Order: sequence, then structure tokens, then C-alpha cells
Amino acid sequence: MDEGKGHEPMKNPTTAERRSERELVVTRRFHAPARLVFEAWTTPALLMRWWVPKSIDMSFVSCDADVRTGGGYRFVFRHASLEEPMAFFGRYIDVVPNARLVWTNEESGEGGAVTTVTFEEHGAETLVTMCDLYPTKEALDEAIASGSTGAFGETFEQLDALLDTLGAETRGT
Amino acid sequence: MRADASITELAARFRMTLTGMKKHVGVLVEAGLVTTEKIGRVRTCRLAARGLEQEAAWIEDYRRRWEARFDALDEIVAELKARETENGRRKRT
Repeated sequence: MDEGKGHEPMKNPTTAERRSERELVVTRRFHAPARLVFEAWTTPALLMRWWVPKSIDMSFVSCDADVRTGGGYRFVFRHASLEEPMAFFGRYIDVVPNARLVWTNEESGEGGAVTTVTFEEHGAETLVTMCDLYPTKEALDEAIASGSTGAFGETFEQLDALLDTLGAETRGT
Repeated sequence: MRADASITELAARFRMTLTGMKKHVGVLVEAGLVTTEKIGRVRTCRLAARGLEQEAAWIEDYRRRWEARFDALDEIVAELKARETENGRRKRT
């Protein structure tokens, strides 16, 4: 089983940048035709196998995706630090098979981004570009300021603890 | 308030007690948003240039999350490719 180790092909790099005040862009190349990358992205049974790799510490409770223009999706996850499962949901507003997916992110209300993923074939490779477009600069700033997991509760608990400590110090002197 | 200011000036500006303002500034210093420097008997506070650093760190976290996903996606895509090659061979023979 382990005979492939040590001379595994190099993984293609993943890049991420804030391309404008409202846009966040991630890219990655895959050594396969676009239709296969698209299939792995749009088939729930396959998507569930890669969307939450072990390093992310979450697991799927359910994964529903009606991948067509106007269709909806709902991903429900369990996370060790949360009592209740959390849901991510929205609608596909544009689906071009093997080329393009556009969906809304509606779980956090009006500040949610619209995500566009394009699959471009270049020879034997497919370039995947994923762009999150936020409604305003402030919405993206807020997403960044709130931390990568959006765990507001945890952040405020930490601030509370800090204020308690400082309060105790002030009282002590 | 954009300019540097002492705790006394900030307390007066926000109509707070010195102790209260010290506490507030302490929280901002802990959070990395403000730095202070004591010159003589006066402690001067200024806004820390941390915004961009924080943003860069967040984007790097975000990139790593997608890198982990895409590396896993790569394996699935390789499976699909192998399956297709296998099927193609079967059809030809």
C-alpha cells in the first residue's frame, strides 16, 4: 500500500488573494479534464469526500445539492466545538455544466458573498478559479475581522475573559 | 481620534476617569490595536499598524483551508480519471 510514498507527484499550489475591496479569489490547477473536476464538485456523494478533509475538524451531517440554475443547496456539518450542527445554504444562480457554477451564501443573512467558480481547460489541465464577491467592502472586512471560522461566540468569550482579567487587575491596585 | 494622545487627553476627550481609560487602552493594547510608549511621565497611545497584518494572516488561513480541500479533491479527480481510463480500455478490448 505504501509503495507510492516518497515519490508522489508534487501537489499543485493553491493561491488566495484579496483581488479588490469586495473580492476574494482562490485558484488551483488539476491534472484532469474540466468535466471530471466539475463532476467531483457537483455530485454530493463525491463532494462530501473532499469538502471537509480531516484537517478541517468538521463532519457532514447531510449534503443536499440540486445543481442547476435556480436549484438550492444545504450542507449541514457537525463541529466538535458546537452543540448544534451548523447549516450552510443558498441557491445556484448560474450553472454551466463543466464550465461555471455561481451560488449565493445565505446562512449569514445579507452580508453573504456570491461565489463564482470557473473550470477552464488548458491542455491536459483544468484551472479552477473561485471568487467570493461580497456586497460591500465592509462585508468582506467584517468577514475577515470575525476570524476564519466565523465563530463569533468564541471571540466574544475570549474578550469577556480578557475584560475580567483587566477588571481584576484594576481592582487589585 | 487619529493623532497620538496621552491617557489623560483620551480620558478628557471621552469624558472618562483615568482608571477607566487605562482599562480601555489596556484591552486595545492586548488586542494589538494600540501601542503605548512612556516618555517621561506621560504614556502616549497610538493606533497600531496591525490591520493589514491581520488581513494577510486571515487570507493565509483561508488559503490553507482551500488547499486542504483541493488536495482532497485532487485525489477524487484522480480516481475518476483512473475509472474512465479503465472503462475506455474495456470498451476497446
